[in-house]
Amino acid sequence: MIVKRDHKVPGGKLLRVEVECGEGKVLALRVDGDFFAHPEELFEAAEAELVGLPVEALADRARSAFSRSGLTLYGVGSDDIAETLKGALDAAQIS
Amino acid sequence: MRLRFLDTGSGSGAFNMGLDEALLESVAAGRSPPLVRLYRWEPAAVTLGYFQSAQAEVDVAAAHRMGVDVLRRVTGGGAVFHAAEITYSIVAPEGHPLAPSDILESYRRICAGLVAGLKFLGVSAAFAPINDIVAAGKKVSGNAQTRKQGCLLQHGTLLLDVDVERMFSVLLVPNEKLKGKLIEDVKARVTGLRALCGREIGYAEAATALKAGCAAAWIEFSKEGGAAPQGVVFEDSAPTKEELERAAILSAEKYGRDSWTFRR
Repeated sequence: MIVKRDHKVPGGKLLRVEVECGEGKVLALRVDGDFFAHPEELFEAAEAELVGLPVEALADRARSAFSRSGLTLYGVGSDDIAETLKGALDAAQIS
Repeated sequence: MRLRFLDTGSGSGAFNMGLDEALLESVAAGRSPPLVRLYRWEPAAVTLGYFQSAQAEVDVAAAHRMGVDVLRRVTGGGAVFHAAEITYSIVAPEGHPLAPSDILESYRRICAGLVAGLKFLGVSAAFAPINDIVAAGKKVSGNAQTRKQGCLLQHGTLLLDVDVERMFSVLLVPNEKLKGKLIEDVKARVTGLRALCGREIGYAEAATALKAGCAAAWIEFSKEGGAAPQGVVFEDSAPTKEELERAAILSAEKYGRDSWTFRR
């Protein structure tokens, strides 16, 4: 199943997460929005790394993946991404 | 500070984005000095930020019906409806006074040129981090930056006029029931030079003001590094044959393709 959640970061940008889950695992994931991430490729590498994880590990792993050194975010933080992913899964009662 | 200056006038969205990237490659390869480019959009276009979902942000069918192009930028930030505006791009190697390592500082420095340009038009404006310029409490300019191949590319818009209804006939809103309220909110938060100046400001007048504003404001940053103070000199230029050819390739094979526009 696919779960989605939007979150407007107070004073920041809009996050839109979409996670496809199956058999307890993350099958696909996108973290979209009008934020900035430098370099962009490192953000996409972080997204890609989360695919295949058990859903219950997703939020914590996202927090570390998007706070890695060398990646700078503007308008959102790694905590915002982790909490929005968790919120999406919780709302669907997956995690 | 010597800068190459290009005014490429009207172009399609795919050409405009292709030329920005071609110019970035030129500067990165040392074939071009740092540069400022001014341009506009014909036909009107919507650009998506690099990380935005096309499906979530744009009514593609409506855009097609209205003859509005839909494109994805190489820069982050939000969706922009490009119609009555002047657009700029700046390319400079990292470490250039306009491209310090601190990204927010480089936004502030570049936007200081736009703010000064607005002042020449009689508009009091200020940079509003992360990436906006506001006047009379409303957004009049949005800006977006990336760093690639050791270079900064920043592009941004200065609104000449605002047509919020037309904008929202192609941009999707999170909640259709609240569309009316959202349109009113955007009208209250976004403005253009026509409203700010009380008269129509055309592309050419805005271009002259921007160029003068950048020349005036960026002197401050050209004194860095203990070098003797120097003025900001714009050297008028046009895209080279090679840059135009590269722009055409990027336009056809990247920015004009659904595989790029709809990658998210």
